[in-house]
Amino acid sequence: MLEHTATGTEPLGGVVVVGAGGFVGNAICTRLAAEKVPHLALTRKDIDLLEPEAATKLQRMLRPGDALVFVSALAPTRNNSMLIDNLRMAETICAAVAAGQLAQLVYISSDAVYADDANPVTERSCQQPSSLHGVMHLAREVMLQTAFKLPLAILRPTLIYGARDPHNGYGPNRFRRLAAKGEAITLFGEGEEMRDHVHIDDVAMLVSAVLHRRSHGALNIATGNSFSFRRVAEMVVALAPQAAEIRGTPRQNPITHRHFDITDCIKAFPQFHYVPLSEGLVHVAKESA
Amino acid sequence: MSAPVVGFAGLTHLGLVSAIAVASKGFRVIGYDADAARVHDIAAGQLPVVEPDLDELARGVAGRITFTSQPGDLAACDLVYISTDVATDARGESDLSAISALITDVIAALAAPALMVVLCQVPPGFTRRLPLPPERLFYQVETLVFGRAVERATRPERYMVGCADPAKPLPKPFATLLGAFGCPILPMRYESAELAKIAINCCLVASVTVANTLAGLSERIGADWSEIMPALKLDARIGRHAYLAPGLGLAGGNLERDLATITRLAAATGCEASIIAACIANSQHGRDWAVRVLHSEVLSRNADALIGILGLAYKENTHSTKNSPSLALISALAPWRLKLYDPVVPASAATHPRAEGASSALAAVKGADALAIMTPWPAFRDLKPADLARAMAGRTVLDPYRVLDARDVAAAGLDYFTLGAPPYRAKELLHA
Repeated sequence: MLEHTATGTEPLGGVVVVGAGGFVGNAICTRLAAEKVPHLALTRKDIDLLEPEAATKLQRMLRPGDALVFVSALAPTRNNSMLIDNLRMAETICAAVAAGQLAQLVYISSDAVYADDANPVTERSCQQPSSLHGVMHLAREVMLQTAFKLPLAILRPTLIYGARDPHNGYGPNRFRRLAAKGEAITLFGEGEEMRDHVHIDDVAMLVSAVLHRRSHGALNIATGNSFSFRRVAEMVVALAPQAAEIRGTPRQNPITHRHFDITDCIKAFPQFHYVPLSEGLVHVAKESA
Repeated sequence: MSAPVVGFAGLTHLGLVSAIAVASKGFRVIGYDADAARVHDIAAGQLPVVEPDLDELARGVAGRITFTSQPGDLAACDLVYISTDVATDARGESDLSAISALITDVIAALAAPALMVVLCQVPPGFTRRLPLPPERLFYQVETLVFGRAVERATRPERYMVGCADPAKPLPKPFATLLGAFGCPILPMRYESAELAKIAINCCLVASVTVANTLAGLSERIGADWSEIMPALKLDARIGRHAYLAPGLGLAGGNLERDLATITRLAAATGCEASIIAACIANSQHGRDWAVRVLHSEVLSRNADALIGILGLAYKENTHSTKNSPSLALISALAPWRLKLYDPVVPASAATHPRAEGASSALAAVKGADALAIMTPWPAFRDLKPADLARAMAGRTVLDPYRVLDARDVAAAGLDYFTLGAPPYRAKELLHA
């Protein structure tokens, strides 16, 4: 559960976004720019968190009272080498923030930290990741909690979609690209698995809200409504400029579902409302047309 | 031996109702509380608790019961109950400091042969540690139910009595007193009696948790839990009095306290007790049912919605708001305008920047975009759906406890949401 330490009416001080070149980081910076929040967008070109001097370099960039948004990750974490590199990146952040000048640290984690059978997922669900990617995020969360004693907000988005997502993972983004080319969408099994998909703008909006309220604690970022992959594929195809086949395949793995109970988000930000998937997909289709 | 004189130390809900119930059986009773103002009010007939039939019963025993704020007056008693409500914090943990101080005062006041009976909820192991000879020290399980306290106190199902040696007969004054109620008396060791109270509540919680879980599933798959409940109650293994009505999480404080106690004891002793954590999580989820529905149906579309809320007490027929789902809902609705009404609890019990009290249920509904009936007060059953439809600006009615008839509400043009069934929408009824 998030707790707020500011009313949100005060103007926001400086925000440093580490990982601003990525899909999520870029969206956060776009949001902050639209809100005229002074921010420093750091990409890997500006600072490589794996470099030996990165912590010192970052420390010099941080001003007292700044908030730091840590988005950088080598994702998804597919192997041990990537896991170790991701943890070293977090080690750099820990070293940079240890001086204690920051007003707030916001970490963009993932719902991969939760056990596969946690349903419906809340912020208090069992954190027992089954993937290296989830292990990486959970380890980073603990590292940051240990290193940073001031307001630390851990945000755990579920599957994010958006027109500019460079990833091509199974879900709306890949389905859209296939449908745009008129190619068949191949489902795992019949696409029965239910998942929650959140629009990138909602992620950015919640990060901004967390910064404005100087919140600390954990918050899942999910709409609270899950859809089967087949249903998602059908929605995407309906919006595509040309017909595309949706094709099932023999099931290889057991069906798992993921649903979210978003009561904590409703309580933390009562006037924030997620974009429904049907509307978000329309938005993405227009943006990518 | 003549009838024993019975003392009650602590005149909160438990002590006051118990004292009046004992007096109603013909015993002379002395009620003690350190709060002189409370004693004055009670002696004047102004009872600080609301319970069906309590005022009438109190008037009938006025000649046999006296109230005092002087602990020394308890010296006239043959046995004294420690009968104060034990306060709990937000996590359900008991604060035993007040009861411990009270016990010290009572022991100092007791006549040499008099007995002391701990009636309030204490954790297992508490009674045995008290500094009184074991032949004079007892624990009695209280079975107070808010809203049914008089019925439970005057017609108990059984007495569970914790003793140093359950094989020995109870002392005469105690046996005489309990015998007057004509129900089975079950002596057991102190720790068993202390755990028995918790065990009862755990069974009730487990039952409610199952009901809430399956009611929630019913809402999603098109079943109606209210149709299933009667079938379960006709199963002798479950029983017609089983707690199967879905609710908005645990409230009132006592059940929450017992779950906290078991959690603590299980952790300390290494006992597997994951069911307790599951019950607590289920309760937290259930408490927020109304805010989820309101958010989904109204608040996500109407930034300036006015919500009418009927009921503030944690359940009907009580003034208590401890862990009230209604107050929890109100605290989650800070940005919106609220109109509140409860037959007993004043609107000031809710802290909300934009809430105002209403003089009646219909007044609370006037102009509302949504209505939430958060306490199933009997009076709310008299509300006419057509009157609600005329008074409301919006169409959404949340009635978790089914105070109103779902079809009547939908027929009046309103969308009806309850626990354990899919929504009854006015449009769907029209097209049915």
